[in-house]
Amino acid sequence: MRRPTLTALVVIVGLLLIADLLVVNSALGQLAGIVVDAAILVAAGAALAGVGALGARRIADLWRRRGDPVAATFVLVGIGVMLVAGLRPGSSGTGDPAVQWLIAALLVPIGASLFGLLFVTTLGAARRSLAMRSREATLLVAAAFVTTILLVPLSGEVGAWLSGVAGWSLAVPIGAVFRGLLIGIGLLTAVYAARTLLGMGAADD
Amino acid sequence: MPSPAELLGRLVRFVGEILGASSLRFEIGPTLVVLGVVLVLLQLVARPVSRWVTSDAAGLAGIGRAMALAAESGTDAVVSLGGAGITRTTDSLGRLQTLAALPILGHVARAAARSGIPLRVLTNDPIAGVMAAATVDAAHASTATLERQRRSRIVMVGEGRPTIAGLAMTTRARPAAAFAVGSLREEALLHLDGLRASAGSLATASAEAAQAPSLLLAGGAVLIGPEPFQAAADLRSDVEERTMVLAANRLIGLAIAIILLGSILVLAGIADLADFLTGTGRG
Repeated sequence: MRRPTLTALVVIVGLLLIADLLVVNSALGQLAGIVVDAAILVAAGAALAGVGALGARRIADLWRRRGDPVAATFVLVGIGVMLVAGLRPGSSGTGDPAVQWLIAALLVPIGASLFGLLFVTTLGAARRSLAMRSREATLLVAAAFVTTILLVPLSGEVGAWLSGVAGWSLAVPIGAVFRGLLIGIGLLTAVYAARTLLGMGAADD
Repeated sequence: MPSPAELLGRLVRFVGEILGASSLRFEIGPTLVVLGVVLVLLQLVARPVSRWVTSDAAGLAGIGRAMALAAESGTDAVVSLGGAGITRTTDSLGRLQTLAALPILGHVARAAARSGIPLRVLTNDPIAGVMAAATVDAAHASTATLERQRRSRIVMVGEGRPTIAGLAMTTRARPAAAFAVGSLREEALLHLDGLRASAGSLATASAEAAQAPSLLLAGGAVLIGPEPFQAAADLRSDVEERTMVLAANRLIGLAIAIILLGSILVLAGIADLADFLTGTGRG
């Protein structure tokens, strides 16, 4: 379902930004600046609305006794603590030591602990892929096994040979696949960005 | 009151003044190159359906079956828009993947709306949430199922990439089908493992080259590299069109095989295939 007004707006803004990229003109630059500022304001408003909706939703969950009360409580306590730390009288906002401590001492370690699970989940996923006899995943696990062998830190002539093979495999076959993927991604990213800027949607819109 | 001719004259003067006050940001060569690239891109994007691809790598054609299973089991379906969002601090590739996920979300939402399956969309970005809500609403409007609209919901999971992975790992809901479409980076395997453990089926799509192994290890239907951007244009193709593209693909494959074979024969000094085919080698 296409809305012509919105599509026209997207096309106009897209062409304006492309023109501002190519041509130096103060009026054009100011107009493009206004459009970008408006987009930032809308995004900031939506971010506030999103946080408000998240809080309201969790309060409603607790009030109506639905969902997960522990999770809802954690979310509300987290929002409250961060708001108090950043907005209390005398606070310097996002740069306040209390806010920085909450991020550095709580958020970052929690995220890091979660990523620590990657070792276990990767092994589990590899085992499951082999059990399912997926062709691509089997090839992937075999390549990972060979690479692990190549990276074993051995001294002497054998170690140097393994290291050389590891460097060659990284630079040639793996590098070729990776570069091919990146070239393909780059091309279709440019095409998709042009479609977005010019308001062209999917075929079945 | 000025006459039409005076108005036209003023307009021409105004445009002339603007042009006179402007200068090119780059040299003439780079500007022409950029304009040339834009023209080539326009040629590419003017065609709404991708030309040479008829694959169904991410199992998008099987969404109807997944929704039928969900209807039988009385559960819902989950679509995760990845960890990039649109207004979060991330790069353009991540944002663009979120935008590319919306047509796929629309495709899933239409199938869910037709089958009466509630849809749960996970996102960590408010603007992406608003756009997802609009996409789901449009899906219900286009399938005339507005009465089912309230059952679907957009879940704003909070800030950060680990958050959405943590939610996927700890949720107790068991959807019949899960789709993870968008930017998946260091949290990819955790995110997909969480979805896979709870969902009946999993389809994943991400253009993050470094995370392609994570998508393959997670199992299920996969779109990697440039394929997520391609899928948006490949969602609806008529049977005749797909058959024509398949036939064209085979002809291209045959032509490449003949060229390779001919090259090998020429290099080996056995025969000159071009001369043989055109009849010029027999004197």
